[in-house]
Amino acid sequence: MGLFTQSLDVVLTEGGVLSALTWRGQRYDVLEEPLQWYERRKWWEEEQRAERGRGRGLVDHEIWRVQARGARDGDLRTFDLSHHVSSGRWRMIRLHDAVREEAA
Amino acid sequence: MKGGFVHLDVATAYSAHYGVSRPADLAAAAGADGQDALACTDRDGLYGAVKHLGACIEQGIDPILGVNLAILSGVGSPRRAGSPPRRHVIGRVVVLARGHRRGAGYAALCRLVSAAHGMDGVGDAGKAGARIVGVTRDVLADYASGRRLRPELRLAAGEEPLLTVLLGPESDVGQAAVGHDHRLLRRRLSAWRRALPEGALALAAVTHLNVPGSRLSTSHAVRITRAGRESGLPVVLTNAVRYADPDGAATADVLDAVRAAQPLQQLAEEQEAWQPNGQGWLKSTASMIRVAQSVGQAAGGVEVAVDLLEQTRRIADLSRLDPVADVGWGLPVVPEARIIGIDGDPDRELKQRCEAGITRLYNGPALPRLGRADEAALRDRLEDELSVIAELGFAAYFLTVAEVAQLISDLGIRNAARGSGASSLVNYLLGISHVDPLKHDLIFERFLSRRRTTLPDIDIDVESAERHRVYREIFDRFGAERVTLMSMQNAYRARGAVRDAGLALGLEPERIDDIAKQLWRFSAGSFREALEEKPELARFAEQVSSHRQLDLLVDLTERLDRLPRHISMHPCGVILSDASLLDRTPVQASGLGLPMSQFDKHDMDPMGMIKLDVLGVRMQSAMAYAVAEIRRLHGSAGEVAAAGAHGTDYVHSDGTIMLEHIPQDDEATFELIRSTHTLGCFQIESPGQRELVGKLAPQRFNDLIIDISLFRPGPMKSNMVKPYLENRHGFAPEVYPHPDLRPALAETHGVTVFHEQILRILNVMTGCAYDEADVLRRYLGNPDREPEVEEFFRTEATRKNYDRAVVDEVWETLRAFGSFGFCKAHGAAFAVPTYQSAWLKTHHPEAFLAGLWEHDPGMYPKRLLVAEARRLGIPILPLDVNESDVSYRVQRCDDGRLGIRLALSGVYGVSATEVRRLRAGQPYGSLSDVRERSGLRRVSLERYAALGAFDSLQRGRGNRADLVRHWGRNAAASVPARYQPIAGQLPLPLPDLELATLQLGAPAPTAEETVGTELDLLSLDVSAHLMDSHAGTLRRLGTTTAADLLGLRNGSEVLVAGIRVATQTPPMRGGRRVVFISIDDGTGCVDCTFFHEAQQASAPFLFGTRLLLIHGITRRTGPRGISVQAVQAWDLADAASLPDREELPDARQLARHRASPVPQLRAAERLDTLMEAEGLDNRVAAS
Repeated sequence: MGLFTQSLDVVLTEGGVLSALTWRGQRYDVLEEPLQWYERRKWWEEEQRAERGRGRGLVDHEIWRVQARGARDGDLRTFDLSHHVSSGRWRMIRLHDAVREEAA
Repeated sequence: MKGGFVHLDVATAYSAHYGVSRPADLAAAAGADGQDALACTDRDGLYGAVKHLGACIEQGIDPILGVNLAILSGVGSPRRAGSPPRRHVIGRVVVLARGHRRGAGYAALCRLVSAAHGMDGVGDAGKAGARIVGVTRDVLADYASGRRLRPELRLAAGEEPLLTVLLGPESDVGQAAVGHDHRLLRRRLSAWRRALPEGALALAAVTHLNVPGSRLSTSHAVRITRAGRESGLPVVLTNAVRYADPDGAATADVLDAVRAAQPLQQLAEEQEAWQPNGQGWLKSTASMIRVAQSVGQAAGGVEVAVDLLEQTRRIADLSRLDPVADVGWGLPVVPEARIIGIDGDPDRELKQRCEAGITRLYNGPALPRLGRADEAALRDRLEDELSVIAELGFAAYFLTVAEVAQLISDLGIRNAARGSGASSLVNYLLGISHVDPLKHDLIFERFLSRRRTTLPDIDIDVESAERHRVYREIFDRFGAERVTLMSMQNAYRARGAVRDAGLALGLEPERIDDIAKQLWRFSAGSFREALEEKPELARFAEQVSSHRQLDLLVDLTERLDRLPRHISMHPCGVILSDASLLDRTPVQASGLGLPMSQFDKHDMDPMGMIKLDVLGVRMQSAMAYAVAEIRRLHGSAGEVAAAGAHGTDYVHSDGTIMLEHIPQDDEATFELIRSTHTLGCFQIESPGQRELVGKLAPQRFNDLIIDISLFRPGPMKSNMVKPYLENRHGFAPEVYPHPDLRPALAETHGVTVFHEQILRILNVMTGCAYDEADVLRRYLGNPDREPEVEEFFRTEATRKNYDRAVVDEVWETLRAFGSFGFCKAHGAAFAVPTYQSAWLKTHHPEAFLAGLWEHDPGMYPKRLLVAEARRLGIPILPLDVNESDVSYRVQRCDDGRLGIRLALSGVYGVSATEVRRLRAGQPYGSLSDVRERSGLRRVSLERYAALGAFDSLQRGRGNRADLVRHWGRNAAASVPARYQPIAGQLPLPLPDLELATLQLGAPAPTAEETVGTELDLLSLDVSAHLMDSHAGTLRRLGTTTAADLLGLRNGSEVLVAGIRVATQTPPMRGGRRVVFISIDDGTGCVDCTFFHEAQQASAPFLFGTRLLLIHGITRRTGPRGISVQAVQAWDLADAASLPDREELPDARQLARHRASPVPQLRAAERLDTLMEAEGLDNRVAAS
């Protein structure tokens, strides 16, 4: 499993569900309905302010786990993406080894 | 979804250190989302329940009440044979009361919560804090089935269970569901099924959408759902709510850190200790449907999701409460008639007791008979009051309060009603109040009327030292099932908030401490604002801008501001009710050991609970002490009268002064008050009040009522003080807007001071009755209602032919007066102890001061009263092992004067037990005797020696320092008990070995060192004034003493120095803060005012520094008063930092541009600001 943190472009369905993403110049199409959860952030380390009325996205961020197939190389990969709610930015945070994931 | 989703698991902010949002915000969020019901399930209690009921009624949604409780293991192994089994927590569950069961569901919930606190005769009670709050499954089952309820409730309840128990993620079942151990889960679940009655159990699935597989993840919820479906139990969906919206999540993190007493960083490493993410808010119906779908999908399909939502709805429906029928919302409940000793009609009983009061107070053999007109007025008034009381059905309430007042008097404890209760003749006749409302023109409708249907407040002041005894007696008298103490919610304030926010961020404690100390009376909610404005925070503000953690600290402090922290015993509230009380409020142990309701004062009216404020007043104790001391000293009426130069009519033959009967026109007492030497007198000792009594120069009792009433924010804000003083002294003519108003306003020279006068004005000019007038008065100052009052007033007054100019003028007064005025009844009730204390100070100053030292009632440190004794020429007799008593005693000196002997108690670090033993062993013949019989520890011997308590036993051999050294070297070893003389037997007159072996040669302490020791150990400077040691410095600087200040002209430049005795920061008044610092220099007090620039120049010394040097100019405040407008202050103890006299800037120059052009005006403004500060403080203290 690799650890990353880089921003990337995604395509969402009208219902707000991730359908495709572009990573290292390759487009990946999402195969199954992605898993989604919320992970805590170390906001007291990362943030300058935590004022009242700050709203959502301070304490946790949205994580999506997607299985997607590369449009060019046809490889199956599992990505963990974080979605920062207030900025709307998507980042790649983990890349799972596709084969091992499938075997597990 | 019709009716919306219903949240069944919601912690409010009243779950201390857990919940974030107030009930009102939660109910508003639910209401706005179209949810038609909402639960409040605080942890360990119903702390937020009444606020929740109120908020739901306001939102028009159904309230549901429950509690989140720890479940204790059923069988514990005893630590040793015979001791109660040790139980441990096996998880937490949510328990909901069933509704529409004639209160039985709610009663079961209340009793269950009390039981969880060891207060319902179940399980091991133990002291507060000593036991784990929680119940076993079996006890829970007993309440759920109704087995433990009173028979009549049980019958009303029927067969169905009264409680629903939700097993969620925090329960033992839910914990098992995190892993994959299905057998453990099933075993735990069947234990619950066996224990609880059929139908009482449900499972609760919760997902905070945490990382798959972990606690509070969707898979966790799925496993709980499956377990429920397999076993045929209903499964509901909740969100384990802790905050109304996502923004609360960060606050919850901080609360988790505070609860665990660990920084956030550390919590992050132990995931179990806190919320896994920030998803615990009151999610919308739409969100909860989505959550149900995702759980359903994983657990078996759409029908699972539908079932989750339906079961949630079904349990919610079972739990909807009818606030009136289930909880008794708004229905006052008084003790049963037989309990207050009546068997007939309460109204008739009340009338009879009032008749008895008339005989006792007006027509008794020793009293002057009432004239015919007075008699008629009295009868009319009584008739009137009784008919209102009868109509409202409050007779039993008055009889109850009378019963309590009687009980206190029978104990021989001083008591007096305070507040508007003094307006009632019935209260006077029943002996509840000691103020005659007819004599002082007090209006009953201000207290109670047909238009005020909530139970009136009657507050009873008692001697503070006897308060707990009074409480116990009330419990005994009425029965523990009808009485409980009230609690109060303690909320975060600036210092606590910054400490806990700092803890969460992991800042070093010393650093936090430094910051916390600088926070001075402002709301933490406006911390950031304060940083910009307050000079003493300037250094911190600078750090904030460059330090990320401090920036966060400010934000987190603001988040914590005003959140409830814990409940404690209310300082005076006692709840009295009938035998159903404990079905209506849960109780827990108070610090006193007596049960305390989980409800606070705001909850009383809605819950129909009678609250009696039994207030401990230190001044009452001080006066009781003084009276006892006078009796002990003089022994007979004649001696007492001779010693105090007063009459004997009100002195009992044994020498007890009956303060209730002292004449209220004693010229000497008024002379003392006018001299402004009122330190120690009730209500009139503060700097502002001393200034006001000086200006007002009271001559009669009524003047005192006016003085106390003027010293309030209301009369001050509406600018009543200055015109009143001017009219009073004839500087300005009295002006009445209309001759009709003369009767109402004459006593205050045309100026409106009292609520009662507002009522009379409205009555005269509009013809409305007093009860209606009081309603109108309450609307004044309320922007929504005031316009209708104006409309009514203008219309009716015009109809009664008052012309436009008069109407305009009077309306302006009414508007300005707003709702801020002061009730004359309050003033009258306060004036009684004020006058009594001034009378005692005038006639028996030694005993009075001894009482003050003993009970410490005032706003000043005790050492200032030592200075006052010195000023009065009263000798202060040193601590002496044989002469001193446990308390401060008045003793006759060799020269015949009366002096005050310092007490054995009050020495730092000496325990009460040691003091008692030392006293019991008196007299001591020698140092050896002291060592052998006193039982004092070595350190205590050293302390008493340092204070000179053994000087008399040293018989001139060596000095204190020798003895301190001696005790220190030779560890005290007292003689074995069998060699000690038995009681009554005097020790053999052996030569004092101790004294003989005393090594001499230690340098005797200097006067300065002696004073230092006294301050350290007694917090008093007795042998000399603390400032004496700075005499050299002060001479060099050329300071002026307080005594000399009065001789200076207005506007003189001065340096003053002294010890801080009072600091006040009034709320902002149209702009910048003003700080008042009073210092004492041994000749009296100097009151100094710091305006903005002076605060900036003196920033480091404004709040912490004890010894101050202050540069400023004098400001006349009245014929006998003068104060200093400060320019700059220094720390007198830091000699190097002090300025040179020659280098001081011109204070007049500096002061001029910020003083207003007319010094008099400035002084008046200063008084206003002072009054505002103190008036508000008084109001806070009284509420």
